[in-house]
Amino acid sequence: MRLDLTDLTCKIGSVKFKNPVFTASGTFSYGNDLPEFVDISMLGAIITKSITYELRVGNPPPRIVETPSGMLNSIGLANIGVNNFIKDIIPLYKNIDTKIIVNIAGSTNDEYIKVLKDIESVSSDIVGYEINISCPNVEHGGMELGVDAKLSNKLITELRKQTEKLLIVKLTPNVTDISKIAEAVEEAGADAISAINTVIGMGIDIVKRKPTIYKTYAGLSGPAIKPIALAMVHKISKTVSIPIIGIGGIVNGENVVEFLLAGASAIQIGTANFRNPNVGEIIVDELNQYLKENEILHYSELIGKLNLYE
Amino acid sequence: MIIDKSEIIENIQIADGIWQMVFKSSGIADRYLGAGQFVSILVDDNWEHPIRRPMSIADVKDNKVSIIYKVFGSVTQSLTQLKSEDYIDVLGPLGNTFNVDYNLIYPILIGGGIGLSPILNLSKSLAQKGIGVTTIIGAKTSNEHFLQHNPNNNMFLCTDDGTVGINGTVIEALNIVLKDIKNPKIFACGPEPMLFSIQKMLDKKSIPGQFSVESCMACGMGICQGCAIPNNNNGYHLVCKAGPVFETNEVRFD
Repeated sequence: MRLDLTDLTCKIGSVKFKNPVFTASGTFSYGNDLPEFVDISMLGAIITKSITYELRVGNPPPRIVETPSGMLNSIGLANIGVNNFIKDIIPLYKNIDTKIIVNIAGSTNDEYIKVLKDIESVSSDIVGYEINISCPNVEHGGMELGVDAKLSNKLITELRKQTEKLLIVKLTPNVTDISKIAEAVEEAGADAISAINTVIGMGIDIVKRKPTIYKTYAGLSGPAIKPIALAMVHKISKTVSIPIIGIGGIVNGENVVEFLLAGASAIQIGTANFRNPNVGEIIVDELNQYLKENEILHYSELIGKLNLYE
Repeated sequence: MIIDKSEIIENIQIADGIWQMVFKSSGIADRYLGAGQFVSILVDDNWEHPIRRPMSIADVKDNKVSIIYKVFGSVTQSLTQLKSEDYIDVLGPLGNTFNVDYNLIYPILIGGGIGLSPILNLSKSLAQKGIGVTTIIGAKTSNEHFLQHNPNNNMFLCTDDGTVGINGTVIEALNIVLKDIKNPKIFACGPEPMLFSIQKMLDKKSIPGQFSVESCMACGMGICQGCAIPNNNNGYHLVCKAGPVFETNEVRFD
């Protein structure tokens, strides 16, 4: 006999989550300050906005523009800095009914390490870290690390020494071969890989003859990048054995199934949160419905179960 | 704020490229705080256009909310196709309100282009309180106006081409209006170059004011951080949360 409630529990490393539907960094604040109609207890996890050592005010506007089935953004890692994060935000996690993963960014290896160490020293309410080596919108750190296997390996090796919590590395698709970077961070001791961060893009306003975004190049997200994300997740899954958290244009339950088949063990919702911050709950329901209709006992049965043509 | 599937009561063209939509939403009307606040609209369910469109509230009466919008892309074009009894997905109310300390000042309201929406709303709410105001509405040409130029009633229209009202921008109109007014305070909404010109003028004359600022935004609730406007502190305000209404000296357009 089948259970009425589908079991959606999800395990990454040693951490158990309610379900595999997480919210992506930069699209769900620090998990606080969300509209009252959002029920975060329905989410598997929240990945915070990137935290850097110092407060960052972000890039000048325009920072955001819509594109066909997507959007370009160049926020520039605007965030409150690790000290304010520890003082004002971490205490809120005592009462939060979901798992929190803190996204960390930096300009140098030392900055990443300092941020992680500072958070390690105060809190046990978070379950892990997602290391952002893939932001396309800052001049130092970010993507310049994520395109280089050796540099990625070095950073993650150092961070691994600092924490026993979940260590996830977020990769950029803006590389020749993402498998090489994935291998390098797995070898360095990462527990999981999240992929993908935004794809570098650009828009042009022909009236002003200017880029549509102040910083010229920006990060493309939304359904427009889902085919890229699926290909990247599939490639990574052929190379590494650690779990992959799929990100890129997921807007409904069927999209989640696509990412699971491609090889992801969990997923993150990004751009769709901007349109409806409660979309996570809807997607969990849709995934549940799909599993019931197809008589699948646990979603993990779908991971990597893709029938290739050859 | 809530997300409401709201029934459209009316969606009509009121001037060249300018439309007014009235929809029913008790949820939004109950939470509405005053002129300056906005809603964010999802025009269709598909993901071709992932982002909502922020639109200033032009009026709230009982459970009916009005917006005035300008057609300037495929999304606003398809918005004009919606009929009464159709439903529209609306997030709101969002943002803050104008703050009019009308005991001490005489309000001059300025709306440029589609920025007239919150200005008409403010004008109506002040009229209901029996507060006299002078209103200036600017457009490129007479076709874009749907109000009457009526200086005796303190309603001034202006056009860039002089086809109706004062020939020139809202700045020329403001210069004329200011001659007869003591303790003015300006309440303005419109395109950035207009607000920048007004800001420079107010600064020179030491006249206080508030701006309702337009911005691109992906969420309207402080999450995406897209709608940044420079402040005086080497940082940014978020238009959706700290605004859209700011004191004129709190924001920078340079």
